[in-house]
Amino acid sequence: MSDRNPYLPSPVKIIGLRQETDCEFTLTVAAERAITPGQFFQVSLPRIGEAPISVSNCGPDWIEFTIRAVGRLTNAVQGLRPGDNLFIRGPYGTGFPIDRFRQQRLVIVAGGSGVAPVRPLIDRVVRGELPVKSLDLIVGFKNRSSILFSDDLAAWKEKSRLVLTIDKPEEGWNGETGLVTEHIKKMQFTDFDDLQVVVVGPPVMMKFATAEFRLLKVPSERIWVSFERLMSCGLGKCGHCKIDYTYVCVDGPVLNYSHAAGLID
Amino acid sequence: MSLDLNRKKVTKNAYRITKRRNYSAIRIRVPGGHLDASLISTIAAIAEKFGDGTMHITTRQGFEIPNIPFERISEVNAALAPVIDKLQVKNGVVIETVGAGYPGAGMRNISACIGSRVCPFANADTTALAQRLEGELFPNDFHVKIAVTGCPNDCIKAHMQDFGIISICEPVYSYDDCIGCEACVKACSRKVTGALSMRDGKVYRDERRCIGCGECVLACPTAAWTRRPGNLYRLLIMGRTGKKNPRLAMPFLDRVSEDVVCQVIRNTIAYIDRHILRCLPKEHIGYIVDRTGLEVFKQEVLAGISFNKGARVAKTMQWPGYHTLNDANFKLIKES
Amino acid sequence: MSESFRLSAEQFAQLFEQLSTAYLLAGPKRIAGAGRFSGTDLVRYAFLKSADELELHEKSWFSPKELVFPPDETLFYFNGQQFTEATLPDDHEIIVFLRPCDINGIDRLDRMFLENAGVVDPYYKRRRERLHYFMIECRESFENCFCVSMQANRTSDYEVALRFEENSVQVEVCGQKFVDLFARAGEKAEFKPEFVSENPVRVELPTEETMPPEIFNDKFWDEYDSRCIACGRCNTSCVTCSCFTTTDLFYGDSRQCGERRRVWDGCHLDGFCDMAGGHTFRKDKGERMRFKTFHKIYDFRKRFGVDMCVGCGRCDDVCPEYISFSNCINKLSAKLKGGL
Repeated sequence: MSDRNPYLPSPVKIIGLRQETDCEFTLTVAAERAITPGQFFQVSLPRIGEAPISVSNCGPDWIEFTIRAVGRLTNAVQGLRPGDNLFIRGPYGTGFPIDRFRQQRLVIVAGGSGVAPVRPLIDRVVRGELPVKSLDLIVGFKNRSSILFSDDLAAWKEKSRLVLTIDKPEEGWNGETGLVTEHIKKMQFTDFDDLQVVVVGPPVMMKFATAEFRLLKVPSERIWVSFERLMSCGLGKCGHCKIDYTYVCVDGPVLNYSHAAGLID
Repeated sequence: MSLDLNRKKVTKNAYRITKRRNYSAIRIRVPGGHLDASLISTIAAIAEKFGDGTMHITTRQGFEIPNIPFERISEVNAALAPVIDKLQVKNGVVIETVGAGYPGAGMRNISACIGSRVCPFANADTTALAQRLEGELFPNDFHVKIAVTGCPNDCIKAHMQDFGIISICEPVYSYDDCIGCEACVKACSRKVTGALSMRDGKVYRDERRCIGCGECVLACPTAAWTRRPGNLYRLLIMGRTGKKNPRLAMPFLDRVSEDVVCQVIRNTIAYIDRHILRCLPKEHIGYIVDRTGLEVFKQEVLAGISFNKGARVAKTMQWPGYHTLNDANFKLIKES
Repeated sequence: MSESFRLSAEQFAQLFEQLSTAYLLAGPKRIAGAGRFSGTDLVRYAFLKSADELELHEKSWFSPKELVFPPDETLFYFNGQQFTEATLPDDHEIIVFLRPCDINGIDRLDRMFLENAGVVDPYYKRRRERLHYFMIECRESFENCFCVSMQANRTSDYEVALRFEENSVQVEVCGQKFVDLFARAGEKAEFKPEFVSENPVRVELPTEETMPPEIFNDKFWDEYDSRCIACGRCNTSCVTCSCFTTTDLFYGDSRQCGERRRVWDGCHLDGFCDMAGGHTFRKDKGERMRFKTFHKIYDFRKRFGVDMCVGCGRCDDVCPEYISFSNCINKLSAKLKGGL
């Protein structure tokens, strides 16, 4: 069964390590995989364990994972250096419906570590690989020191209407403040024909952000969210990520809001 | 006719001197505190016919029937025959004349918690052990208190006895059935000694800290913990109440079989017989051990015993308690 | 096509012995003194040395799912950066004696492990493929059984069906594999297994149409907040509960060698939905009860077209707090009928 055993991870070499914030860092590994933005890998270290980590960017022969050191595995991964091996299997799950976003007005709202899974999507747009009519980005962080991907944010600003906001005013911060929902409120839509909205972030943020878009009359079918759940397999077997009849690991993590809205954990 | 009574004889017959002149009270032995409900009516009938129609439930799980005229002792003894037959003879006590009442009253009623016939925590049938001990030890003139409890919760207060017998188990772990849910670890650390810990998703038991209560077996949802067949006990000794030096019984033997427990107690009776000060009306076992020293006691009561595998004996013993002399420690509280 | 035979108890015992030379035989077995309470036995699926070890008079505490989905299974070993897939200790085929509800229960496991998301779980598959069902005819209910309501009282998925009588055994043998053995062992007979057609416990399932989303957050579930103690026995005893968690361990002195295993997990257990970073879904036991209930009688059906619960009633047998799943289903249906 070896050749098809989906539980066996493959070693991949770490080729880059970048500290993003105090507790978040990005690892680049050398690996060739066909990845749709929004997909994730089961990342593991022998002896420590395995966890689902979304792809925060990728190229033809590399993958990036942006990891928050909050658990046993993620803390251990933090100790790795370029040259070390990381163990992965994937990609898993259903990513963003890229083709449906083509030539659409794309609105992406991301909060905190939720920026990671949408980063490859934004990158495709910014690099011109995914042509869209317009790109609105609302990116929120708790405070200045938790801002991820500063370099990318600068590049994204060139190609989009970017609102970068932190929750509360802070000394030395001249940019936008307030929760992302407050910035969603300022948006106006007259028609929805070619609109696609993506909302990714912590559960509470997604709940309120999607509610704002519904208040703005955006149809549920035009809103996309990405769920994060505990998973032990990524294959629709372990049962941890099941909500209702949905398995987040295979039916998601990216789900249309018309489906996601009815899911109660 | 005036009453001419051999007080020692009637005391040995389980009747006692009471405040009311010419009236006695009899103690009914109920080993393990468990009896056929039908016997209650027999006992009640005695209380109604010979006493004042009341019965007292003793702290040792027997009955005491007050206000029985001394002159009716032989009638009461005859009426007691079915009770003694059921609770003593049927449990192996050898009695020459069943209709002559109890042949001894030194050894107190052997009490026991409700045990594994009812209680989920109990590791053994404490009632059955109390009844076995009754058969092996009674009649006996020495003042010895024995109680059997089903688990280290010690509901029967084995810690207040000369012999406190705690039923325990040896938990056996099935590595393959354990799912690492930690239910046993949590139960042990919340309720017991924290003898269990998690390592790599599996449970490790610190044998030296495990008291054999069986909480892990009760907590496990996959039956990865089971009890090793065969009953084991922890034997506490020399606890007491009293006017001089109340103290807790302390562990003497651990993880010993039922046979070892019974044999040690039988040996202790012989030890008492050899060392008791007969000039005193009665000398309590704890004070005898204080006098002979623990080493002599240990040597004599453990002699000739074939211990089960895994049996352990205490290296040293100390009994926490206090001397009533310390009552000098009190001072007056001002009235308010 | 099937043929039927009658064997004397002695002939059956001999046949059992004969089968033991080529197969492992598993079935409900009484393990003396291994019950949760002292002095009680445990009936669980285990390998049997002889026919008389087969316990037919008491429902097993755990289900036969252990044969295909053991409580603890090593997925692979790691040695430095190398992975070695765990192999099974032997390649014996297994004859398992089980009742119709459990055959249906394993069918539910098949759907999860072999079908869900189009992924075949290789560890499950290799164990599943070596099973041969010897169905114990079940004409009477045990306590708490409600297989009839769950339509899991019948099955045709067996190679041999057996009726155990006082001094004989009647069998129906389907397919060629075992026919010769039984034909040699006993004499021809007319026997078709019967199935229990009525249980003292009945449940009425709520229909999809009567299931408004409001029931998810309804007070109905609150009573279980205080009643359930999250011990997980309903999950571990259930034939259809299939959730697991993976854990790694390394060998004592080695910093390089170890293994990754999967162990049973359950939606009633603490930690089942703890996220790294501290967030927990379904903290309240009532929410867990709701999650399990809907999975067993609603969500699974939506995904696979058949109810997950097979009504074996083991969850009711084992709950230390006397929470009855069948009562829960009926209370839920009654409530939904009455309107929220």
